[in-house]
Amino acid sequence: MFRKFTQEEISSQNQVKASVQRKIRQSIAEEYPDLEANLEDLIPKKVPLIVAKCQNHINLVVVNNVPLFFNIRDGPYMPTLRLLHQYPSIMKKFQVDRGAIKFVLAGANIMCPGLTSPGGSLDDEVLAEAPVAIMAEGKEHALAIGFTKMPAKDIRSINKGIGVDNMHYLNDGLWKTVHLD
Amino acid sequence: MAEKLQPLKVLYCSVCSLPAEYCEFGPDFEKCKPWLLKNAPGLYPDLVSEAEKAAEQLQGVNISGEKGDTSKRQGSAANFQPDEEVKKLPGGKVKKKEKPEIIIEKVIRNKRKCVTMIKGLDLFGIKLSEASKKFGKKFASGASVVKGPTEKEQIDVQGDLMLDIVDFITETWENVPESAIFFIEDGRKVPAVG
Repeated sequence: MFRKFTQEEISSQNQVKASVQRKIRQSIAEEYPDLEANLEDLIPKKVPLIVAKCQNHINLVVVNNVPLFFNIRDGPYMPTLRLLHQYPSIMKKFQVDRGAIKFVLAGANIMCPGLTSPGGSLDDEVLAEAPVAIMAEGKEHALAIGFTKMPAKDIRSINKGIGVDNMHYLNDGLWKTVHLD
Repeated sequence: MAEKLQPLKVLYCSVCSLPAEYCEFGPDFEKCKPWLLKNAPGLYPDLVSEAEKAAEQLQGVNISGEKGDTSKRQGSAANFQPDEEVKKLPGGKVKKKEKPEIIIEKVIRNKRKCVTMIKGLDLFGIKLSEASKKFGKKFASGASVVKGPTEKEQIDVQGDLMLDIVDFITETWENVPESAIFFIEDGRKVPAVG
């Protein structure tokens, strides 16, 4: 999704009004309850919150010129990987085996077998259409952020095809956009 | 309310920007190696032994050619210097100083009308308000100083003036070289000259 993302794809950047800001904070807090206490640090009330609209209905939540969250259409907000690396415990985690890493880092969606093989692991509570962190076998940090296509149980039982859509991965366009200006 | 989480510090490779443990899957592992050796020797045990082997070989050559300890040290010093040089290059690239440049962009509105945006005049020490007046006078059209999306000021001139404006800028302000002026065409930056 962010494979070829550049700043030029940002069609408009707006400072949002307080009510929208509140809504964004609320939905982030709902999605990531563990992060609620830190929200004030991440998105201080005093600093203007900017929402950057990009192509393909992507919105970026930008604070101090640093993108922190993104979402698609009205979908759930997902943290950028740099943020997730700082707070790794906020998201449910899936793990892929070592063989899958290089494909995921090339932008491939995550196939079920890579999650169910011995090197992978699943969080059984995850339902379909939920954001998850994609970890990798033998690695400490997340390498991608995904959006599940089916519940974790189905991934285990069907074990075929795309299990998780790859939203944002290391070294993609969004990763490279550390600062917006 | 949940307990406050402490932000975790992650070691990012200064060469490829990935977390150090993912360098091996990065775009150019070879280039990252010197950096990894210095900053995260624990992550890739193979690398360290590899480097040691190389150092040993170098030392071996030196010993056979000359005498003992002193040449050994020279050998290792020679081995490390290139590493540092490699490191400096990518670091310098990242930090690369922003050259002052003027960017001219045409934005189409209402399908057949356009606005020419000029960014970066202030980098040459030009007062934007004065400049906008001059543009307005020269092209007999509206010209205003507009705040860009994030605190950068630019001048908007009504009409399609991409080509005329280059000459006007270089004539009016002599400290602006033509080579510092760029167009944005189809989302790509194109030098105005040639």
